[in-house]
Amino acid sequence: MDCSYFRERINLYIDGELGYLEVAELQQHLSFCPDCAAELAQVGEVRGALAAWGRLELATPPGFAERVLAAVELEPAPGSPRPFGQVLDDTLEYLDETLGSIPLPGGRTIPVKNVIGWGLATAAVIIGFERRHERRSRELKPL
Amino acid sequence: MTASNLHKWAALPDPSPAELGRAAEGDAQAFKLIVERYQGMVYSVAHNVLGNHTDAEDAAQEALLRCYRKLSQFRSEATFSTWLFRLALTTAIDYRRRERRQPEPVDTEELAVEAAPQLGEGIDAAMIVAALRDLPEDYRVPTVLRDVYGLPYQEIAEATGRPLGTVKVMVHRGRASLRLKLRAGGAGPGQGPAGARPRSDA
Repeated sequence: MDCSYFRERINLYIDGELGYLEVAELQQHLSFCPDCAAELAQVGEVRGALAAWGRLELATPPGFAERVLAAVELEPAPGSPRPFGQVLDDTLEYLDETLGSIPLPGGRTIPVKNVIGWGLATAAVIIGFERRHERRSRELKPL
Repeated sequence: MTASNLHKWAALPDPSPAELGRAAEGDAQAFKLIVERYQGMVYSVAHNVLGNHTDAEDAAQEALLRCYRKLSQFRSEATFSTWLFRLALTTAIDYRRRERRQPEPVDTEELAVEAAPQLGEGIDAAMIVAALRDLPEDYRVPTVLRDVYGLPYQEIAEATGRPLGTVKVMVHRGRASLRLKLRAGGAGPGQGPAGARPRSDA
């Protein structure tokens, strides 16, 4: 029996992305196909183990906390003026969080701040060209 | 690695508002308590996303520094551990985008590490670490975000900058690969936790 059609659907089933009729169709197949039923059970077991793993933590390398705290000591005290690079990073991050992203076809997204940035850059280039063009035409105009 | 010395970070009590306030004002002792309490969680998130110790350490350090800088922006709408977890995840993904490195070769000394707690029937933590480490990076990151940390697909697509359909395919392939390794006689117990050392203080 060719189970490839149903095998592809097992992941969608696990993610809750099948419609009512598709679920019924898959469940009917699982009731008489031990291989597909075993695959579903195995994927479920692996996902359960992964989720349990996500709630545990690895030990950090020796001296990790000390290195972090030493790096923190080099940081400017909260409230004091921060380096320009850090202010820029924080501002870009804040813009990302606040403005969000625009969905593109195919499921891609593009941060709104990038679109605004490209728009401003393009406008600056166009204005620059126009000014240069105006200056040149003034220079070339016969007196 | 035994069940008792791996720590369940999700069950950690959050620092009190007073402790957080002191840390946000630059009290080194208050921030030290936060680092000591959450370093394992931050490091684990980075390791699961990045798949090697060197990058995980760098990214975890960066995440805790970001935490220090942004602590005053923390609002109690979310719990502190959730806020820090998101920060660790974002930092690890940013780090991965910036520094694409190959997975480290397995350190044989580290392979001889501890036994691991059972996470499922016949699956222990050492097997999970080894199986995740061996996944191709393109599969590992979305699979970790989806099945280890339970993020919705849309959020994974936004975090990784990949199309939604691609992310789903990567997760499906990652799952298939993990199933083969963990359920069809792939990695065996203790065959490769790349430095999955237990917490010594737990």
